Amino acid sequence: MMQHNRAYLWFIAPALILMFVILLLPIFIAAGMSLTDYSLGNSGAEFVGLENYEKIFTRSTYAKMFGATFRYVFVVVPLTVGLGLGAALLINSLKRFGDLYKTIYFLPVMAALIAMAIVWEFAFHPTIGIINATLEHGCGTFLEGWSWYAKGCARTFPLWLTDRNYAIWTVSFIGIWQGFGFNMVLYLAGLTSIPRDLYHAAEMDGAQSNWDRFRLVTWPMLGPTTVFVITISMIRSFQVFDTVEAFYPQGGGPSKSVYVMMFAIYEKAIQQNLMGIGAAITMVFLGFVLVLTLLQRWLVERRTHYA
Amino acid sequence: MLNRFSTTETIKHVILILGAIVVLLPFYVMLTYSFKSPHEIMTNTGGFFGAQELFLDEYCVARGRADADCMVTPWIYNYTTAFSKAPLLRYLINGFVVTGAIFVIQVIVALPCAYALAKMKFWGRDAVFALVLFCLLIPVHAIALPLYIMLAKLGLTNTYAALVIPWTISVFGIFLMRQFFMTVPDDLIDAARMDGMTEFSIIWKVMLPTAIPALMAFAIFSVVSHWNDYFWPRIVITGNRDLFTPPLGLREFKGDADGSNFGPMMASAVVIVMPLIIAFMLAQRRFIEGITLSGMK
Repeated sequence: MMQHNRAYLWFIAPALILMFVILLLPIFIAAGMSLTDYSLGNSGAEFVGLENYEKIFTRSTYAKMFGATFRYVFVVVPLTVGLGLGAALLINSLKRFGDLYKTIYFLPVMAALIAMAIVWEFAFHPTIGIINATLEHGCGTFLEGWSWYAKGCARTFPLWLTDRNYAIWTVSFIGIWQGFGFNMVLYLAGLTSIPRDLYHAAEMDGAQSNWDRFRLVTWPMLGPTTVFVITISMIRSFQVFDTVEAFYPQGGGPSKSVYVMMFAIYEKAIQQNLMGIGAAITMVFLGFVLVLTLLQRWLVERRTHYA
Repeated sequence: MLNRFSTTETIKHVILILGAIVVLLPFYVMLTYSFKSPHEIMTNTGGFFGAQELFLDEYCVARGRADADCMVTPWIYNYTTAFSKAPLLRYLINGFVVTGAIFVIQVIVALPCAYALAKMKFWGRDAVFALVLFCLLIPVHAIALPLYIMLAKLGLTNTYAALVIPWTISVFGIFLMRQFFMTVPDDLIDAARMDGMTEFSIIWKVMLPTAIPALMAFAIFSVVSHWNDYFWPRIVITGNRDLFTPPLGLREFKGDADGSNFGPMMASAVVIVMPLIIAFMLAQRRFIEGITLSGMK
């Protein structure tokens, strides 16, 4: 079915041009700019070599940035994946009402995160927030046996978002709350594609308990789903911004403990007009994403060889 | 045996219900605060819907009206203030315009390209497809900074164009539609060519109608992510309130909210979040399909 007309050029040209201008060109611009001290509005820019990168890897501000980002990613990813899988397994094994839970758990994925962040800020508010108010109801009960709880009752419960020991974990919690329903849905799709026969075969081979069935059939069969879910959760959580900016419009939280990379790019480049350093962070960020994706491709291909 | 079985079933429900309470908590807080008076919010009283006792609107008194004229019902006050104090309606219209424009342009750009990649043979086709696959790796938010500089150089920041341009190319849309078009039988296209249709009209009159289900899923994916997007509008829209999208408007509201504005702010949050939630409730299967489309990569 050879085409002898040139119509295809008209069809692919707009997409090709936009791909180059909007997706590829910016990467080259960022790469070039990261080697300068460019600011918007200045006529020229000095070439500074790798100075921006040196700053990123030596200064304590950026050590905090990497600390906050990795803490967030390494808490949010395992928990969103684990909870997503757990919820999917539970829902899948239910006789009734499975769809209801699925709907509820998916709601946070749909809701604008910035709106829900503002609501969570109220919920976590130290004096009028519903969370500390609820915790206070538990005072004087068996819960006080837990030393953390007793301390909260004796003095005050944590300030959550403004306490530097709690801030990053509270923000992570919101990330988990928002993200695990998405993974749950992907796992539910993965579960329905496992052939029933495999469970019968495993039973023949002596897999009696639920744990055996999970270990021998479900988990290996979900392998490709898991690789994908982990990769997409990582890329999404690396990009966390909405919650951080909503809670800490300036400075990235108490003692910069929530100074994540996307916020750092925004603060340096947009708020402070330090384009060079912002571009350098952008490049490091793209490096992470690229490594993660290549790792995923490699894992998937290795698996398909064995299958 | 039967007894043991229902016990595990019960335990599962208990776990899932506890999870559901945590998931629904902020939605509950949002709704209940949007109904309550400032006093009830401060003291955590009033139950879900609040007592709805009339209270004095101090803003109204400050404008020199008599106290008696300024007594308001909390939930009505919250929702009317949300629309009157900030141009919430304007933000919503902006949201519709921007998400709509993004989706339409994405389709206009992606559909012909996907058709060419799936059903036409030409030199370099594999290279173009490889480029599409490579571009799938690039998160647009991550390259926001150079995009912002390019738009600033063109003098386009603080325009509708700035909100739309970076999203006009959806490599994911191209990929998705190409995969879908691969499954359309060649006979259908050949028949259309026999009838003398041009390639251009084949795309819009033959391929587009067959692609409606895939296009619906993509529409949901696109609209949800851009209606909720906060990062990009935050960068390119600075100050000009007329261009605010709903998430920016809400953020602005938070910025100048004092204690008495919690109710109206929660009412705005409800107004911004609810359209998608309601649409989701009405067409759950399609929504879940659409949002998890990225799972097909």
